[in-house]
Amino acid sequence: MMATLRKRTHWIVRVTHWVNVLALPLMVASGLRIFNAYPAFARKGETFCCYPLEGHPIPAGFTFGGWLAGARHWHFAVMWILVVNALVYLGFIYQHGEWRDLAPARGDLRSAREMIKFYLFARRDHPPQGKHNALQKSAYFAMPIVAAVIVLSGIAIWKPVQLRWLTLLFGGYVWARYVHFVAMVVLVLLVLGHVFMVFAVDPYSLRSMVTGWYDEDRSPEARNARPFYHLFRRRTVVASPSSSPSDI
Amino acid sequence: MSAHEPFGNRVGAIDRRAFLAIGGATVTAALLGCDSSGPPRLESALALAQRGNERVERWLFRHRSEDRIPAGAHLSGAAFPQYYVSDTVPVWDENARGVWKLEVSGAVRRPLQLTLDDLLKLPRTSQRVDHYCVEGWNARAQWMGVRVSDLARAAGATADAQYVDFQSFDSDYHESWDMASAMHPQTLVAYAMDRRFLSVGHGAPARVHSPVKLGYKNTKYLTRVVFLPERNGGYWSDRGYEWYAGT
Repeated sequence: MMATLRKRTHWIVRVTHWVNVLALPLMVASGLRIFNAYPAFARKGETFCCYPLEGHPIPAGFTFGGWLAGARHWHFAVMWILVVNALVYLGFIYQHGEWRDLAPARGDLRSAREMIKFYLFARRDHPPQGKHNALQKSAYFAMPIVAAVIVLSGIAIWKPVQLRWLTLLFGGYVWARYVHFVAMVVLVLLVLGHVFMVFAVDPYSLRSMVTGWYDEDRSPEARNARPFYHLFRRRTVVASPSSSPSDI
Repeated sequence: MSAHEPFGNRVGAIDRRAFLAIGGATVTAALLGCDSSGPPRLESALALAQRGNERVERWLFRHRSEDRIPAGAHLSGAAFPQYYVSDTVPVWDENARGVWKLEVSGAVRRPLQLTLDDLLKLPRTSQRVDHYCVEGWNARAQWMGVRVSDLARAAGATADAQYVDFQSFDSDYHESWDMASAMHPQTLVAYAMDRRFLSVGHGAPARVHSPVKLGYKNTKYLTRVVFLPERNGGYWSDRGYEWYAGT
């Protein structure tokens, strides 16, 4: 029996995804190099409530740009790539209707709870899902929102005088800078969680993010896959007699 | 069902993809690692982005956009950083150099030589504003001085005056500005900070202060305000920092 291949990921989604993979680390690392020029949030002569690592620089290995001016040049160049990329992606999923796979729907909270129960072995079968499970949906839905917060707070600290209204919207320059930093941390955590889950639960989705084709028989739902399930599954299948090539 | 397929081979295929992905991530990490400044070949692309950004910044710029801080806000006071590029704090030595004077020259009809007393007689502007450093911190103070636009008017700046170079006696420190930012109502030649004449650490006897540009554009230890038809770089601008540096 042939694999049930289905075209799942449009080329615009794939291209914008991989542009993010290249540009986002550059943006984060150059931002951290800029941050290291003053690794704190307090205005001079004041204290800041909410950053426990005030004054501690980020290790240089996580930074990019070499020095403050170099990092700024990268940051203020790559920002255009990311913004244009995001607009292309959002415009496409709006036009093409794919936003429906990501927008929160009735019952998502319950489905998310069921997914967590499944991952914690408190439920035997993978909950039924559409293109994405409820946890994925919430992560992919949150990413553009967090990204928008990052872009707006970034503009606010770039232009605190010319766009003072925007800076005030974030509570002033110091808070806008803090929001920019915290939202970056949230986005990085979402991305790390996403990358971990791709490798741990649905490595077959890498294929659809490269070629666009996805094997529905290998979906986490079809395989009843928990994180790293495929590693265990491989062992049992290799032992199975039905896995000989003549069965195709 | 998937059990009817040569699962082992397919896992191999996935592993190749995973290998490619991991390999790609490693290359990216290597590119990022060690605090690199990136491939030098991309410098022209970065310069292009910087020119584009300057165009956007100039397009956004408005004289009516002003920095303002709340009436009861805490001022930075002694925590306001002091900074200069010379080895020791620059002090104007009257015995060696004579009375300090501010020269206003270049594309003007009436070049000026202004003593501190002359400056004090010109229209006085006082403002409590932020100071935005390129490093990311900001500080607050009250500044008193003469608007650069008032100096331009007094000296009769001509149509050739498209840029202004602010020069100092702090070694060769200077920074040139676009005319629009220099003519902003909050761009001052300041002689007092927090109701006192400038201390030597803050640029005595006079300095540029404006919230509309990053700190390094605000030349301290000022000696000359030169109106120019062309931009003239600057101390940090020539060392790789953004020339426009507007806030």
